[in-house]
Amino acid sequence: MTTLTLHATRRWLPALSPRQGLGAVLLALLLAFAWLVPWLFDADPARQQMTRILQLPSLAEPLGTDHLGRSLLARLAAAVQLSFGMALLSVASAAIPGVILGVMAGWRGGWLDRVLGSLADACLALPGLLLVLLLVAIAPGNFWALYVGISLVLWIEYFRVVRARTRILVASPQLEASRLLGFGPLALFRRHLWPELAPQVLTLAAFGAASAILAMAALGFVSVGLRPPTAELGLMMIELLPYYHEAPWAMAQPILVLFVLVLSLNLLAGRDPR
Amino acid sequence: MSVYLLQAEDLSIQGEGVTIAPFSCALEAGGRLTLLGETGSGKSLIAQAIMGSLPRGLVARGRLLIDGERFAAADGRSRRALWGRRLALLPQEPWHALDPTMRAVAQVAESHRHVAGRDRRAAHRAAWADLTELGLATAGSKLPGELSGGMAQRVAFAAASAGGAPIVIADEPTKGLDAPRRDAVVELLARTPERGGALVTITHDIDVARRLGGEVVILRQGRVVERGPARQVLTHPQSEYGQRLLEAEPGRWPRPAPLGERQAAVVSARGLAKARGGRELFRDLSLAVSPGEIVGVVGPSGCGKSTLGDMLLGMTPADNGDIHRAVDHRFGFQKLYQDPPAAFSPHWRLSRLLDDLVRRHRLDRAAIGPLMARLGLDDHLLARRPGEISGGELQRFAILRVLLLEPCFLFADEPTSRLDPITQRQTLELLVELARERRCGVMLVSHDPALIERICDRRIALGDGRLREVEPELDPALA
Amino acid sequence: MSVALASRATPRWTAGLGGLLLQRLFQAGLVAWMVGTLTFVLTRSLPGDMAYRIAAGRYGHDMVNTSAAEAVRTELALDQPALGAYFGWLWDLVQFDLGRSLVSGEPVMAELWHQLGHSLGLAAMAVLLSLLLGPPLGLIAGLKPNGWLDRVSEVAASVLRALPPFAVGLLLILIFSVSLGWLPAAGHGRGAHGVLPALTLALALAAISSRVARNAMADVSQSAYYAFSRTKGLNERLSFLRHGLRNAAVPVVAYLGVQFVYLIEGVMVVETLFAWPGIGHALVHAIVARDVPMIQGTALVMGLMFVALNTVVDLLCHWLDPRRRI
Repeated sequence: MTTLTLHATRRWLPALSPRQGLGAVLLALLLAFAWLVPWLFDADPARQQMTRILQLPSLAEPLGTDHLGRSLLARLAAAVQLSFGMALLSVASAAIPGVILGVMAGWRGGWLDRVLGSLADACLALPGLLLVLLLVAIAPGNFWALYVGISLVLWIEYFRVVRARTRILVASPQLEASRLLGFGPLALFRRHLWPELAPQVLTLAAFGAASAILAMAALGFVSVGLRPPTAELGLMMIELLPYYHEAPWAMAQPILVLFVLVLSLNLLAGRDPR
Repeated sequence: MSVYLLQAEDLSIQGEGVTIAPFSCALEAGGRLTLLGETGSGKSLIAQAIMGSLPRGLVARGRLLIDGERFAAADGRSRRALWGRRLALLPQEPWHALDPTMRAVAQVAESHRHVAGRDRRAAHRAAWADLTELGLATAGSKLPGELSGGMAQRVAFAAASAGGAPIVIADEPTKGLDAPRRDAVVELLARTPERGGALVTITHDIDVARRLGGEVVILRQGRVVERGPARQVLTHPQSEYGQRLLEAEPGRWPRPAPLGERQAAVVSARGLAKARGGRELFRDLSLAVSPGEIVGVVGPSGCGKSTLGDMLLGMTPADNGDIHRAVDHRFGFQKLYQDPPAAFSPHWRLSRLLDDLVRRHRLDRAAIGPLMARLGLDDHLLARRPGEISGGELQRFAILRVLLLEPCFLFADEPTSRLDPITQRQTLELLVELARERRCGVMLVSHDPALIERICDRRIALGDGRLREVEPELDPALA
Repeated sequence: MSVALASRATPRWTAGLGGLLLQRLFQAGLVAWMVGTLTFVLTRSLPGDMAYRIAAGRYGHDMVNTSAAEAVRTELALDQPALGAYFGWLWDLVQFDLGRSLVSGEPVMAELWHQLGHSLGLAAMAVLLSLLLGPPLGLIAGLKPNGWLDRVSEVAASVLRALPPFAVGLLLILIFSVSLGWLPAAGHGRGAHGVLPALTLALALAAISSRVARNAMADVSQSAYYAFSRTKGLNERLSFLRHGLRNAAVPVVAYLGVQFVYLIEGVMVVETLFAWPGIGHALVHAIVARDVPMIQGTALVMGLMFVALNTVVDLLCHWLDPRRRI
């Protein structure tokens, strides 16, 4: 019977498709850039050097400087750290309650399902960015307001997808059979629910991270998000816009980084489950 | 000019791991040909090759003669113009073959209009006339989702044959239908040859082949095993496979060993009543199952066979009456499912699932080996996942899993209806044998009365008497 | 049999049109309540003396004195206990009394009325343009999944989805106004002003709708009923028109509802970028200027616009899909 245990491999996370693999590689490169730069270069994203504004890339400043003479290399690295950190944080705080509540609602049904469902509907009544905007208006320039707003919008997706899937699975013969064989809720979740839910949760997480990053950049871009001198992608774009003629390369950098960041997450997500 | 309506010469199919050996046939007006075989025998591909609708990657070779015109089988597009007009294909699953957003009559009328070339009004009149003739006068204005399987089959028949094609190819026309509806479909099919057309039927059901008559071709793994007049092939087959296939018919199974003396019932029920969706399924139903006894349940689709079993297992409450279980232990009441893959999580190896069970109930691992051998399950299967082994193997694994808990009552809900006849016989024989041996009472549901009659000690017929007055076909969820 | 049980367990579309509209009406109420509550919290949480700030905004910094501030305090009920003030605030909202802008002093309703026209014009143009671009492309790509058109449009959609609307807008400005000088970059007035903002929004919308349409069409073209419509004798064109189009359209239209989230969000950003005098632009300005009545008014109108658009989608789905009318 030793062969039995040997053959049993853990499958907590789903295998990635080539498309998802490409996304993972792109994302890994970008993150390596963001975390290696401050470590390898002595670069401060806030240090201004008025004598060296809008300089072309050089050995000293591999990506050039902005209109205040700040190192674009350092600022981009800091901006990616900020965007990705915030995305990770809001995805985690949206996914965990979203999945737990979704499983509870789908499994138990009844009043619990109705209460949680109405709560989710209420959060969906307003378009997501509008809700985030109103929260941000209450506490301007505050990272936490942004984070709470985005998480509040994101959890609903997990909840709805997980609830719908759970409802189907709970009524399925496979779960019924295991229940008759005497398995408890935890074993049922592990063997029947999680393998079905995990790929969808991963997809939603990647899409959610992308929309969190886009939302933050959009708010920064229209000057109602984080405040200068924070290095944030949307903010950097709007700051560099007036200098487009003198320094098109500077303007292009935050756009390109945002593009690659979001693209890598979208690729990682795979097919949209909605 | 040939006398044949449909003729195929050396028709072969190749590609993507599929090989269908050269096949020839000839049907004159009034001719009937039935291709009989199990899943994967390639019988549906032959139909598609004649139609010219083979999936990408498969290539047909050989020559075809259709209604006086010659075609190279390889050039599938050349038959496109014949569809609906000279060649009609009855789809496999009529429920899915009808447009879910279009009313039944419109789907028939469009064939009259665009295929037969009638004007809008005449097409509608003709469609209603067709439906009325098929007993569907009330169903015309319904959407496919509101039709039963049998009704959908008739609508699809009307839509496919509105163009007046003399050659009809029916691909598994009785799949998923219960016995009475199956016979109705056979009658419907027989109209084509009666009116001077030619009928090619593809089926796995020996009974359908027998009722249709004409020529029968038995296929296995892409090869013709045997062919000849139905009367001869289906009574005295010459080939070894043909004989096994026939032996697998429930009517020819050996009867199981007698039950012996009835002991105290493992489960008994008195005065059971249940209604669903405002419709009474049964009332005042009483029954008892003894250890080792096989109790069969028959009845039309939707009569509450599954519900009755779930009630005995304690998974569905009864509206009325009481159930008494002789509780040996908590997990003594188990169930086998109709669709084996649906009863397993597809993500785990069988070894892992077995391990879970052993650990959960602290079972003796030594008991597994001999039981697996009894069930004909090889050790190497355990390294696979449920989707990676055959349906028959998986159902036997399900039996293994259940029997390890030493149940006193087993509810088997059509456990072999998705299996091929030979596998069905093997599986059920094992089940009965083991149940007798281990004194486990079994309640077996089947839509095949002959099967129940053969192996069961007792028979419960649901859906008769006063419950007949509800026409089951009116409920879309029942088929 | 198991199929039968499963189909019984899932709820059928029995809600009917009345129930649907009632739900949307409830959603509209919910939107008003949420916007009202959030903006009320906003007035209470502003740093410093709210009344002074507002008075300064209204009469100019030099003119502010205690009496002016007191007048504002009474007007906005800042001197009352929170709960009473909250209900007063909501009561005003129920009566559509949105107050006056703290910046311009004009009634909020009058300003909104003006801006709404601009925003609706932009949104309509964008949706129309996206419907001309996205779904047709997707339908054609879906007829031949994995063909060259499918692959090209997939790459294009992936690129567009990874670029936020403001970045697309920026690129369009840089290409068509700054470099080529064909179209004006910002402002409002001539028809040409609308082209770039509408195109920006339309591209973002079309990127998604083309893929939705493609997947829907691919599902339909591989379905048994589509195959049957062909084998029963309809030619390709009739099969597509009678069985392909309607079935593929149902998910595309249903997904429009989700797309309107992007539309509303995009309107905010794109109007700001192009200085288009609509609701989104006004909302962003109001937030920067902390003009609470305007924030409330603009957020409310955008929220209600969202509900209204979704109602239209509901009605369209109802009309397209007879299964919902059973």
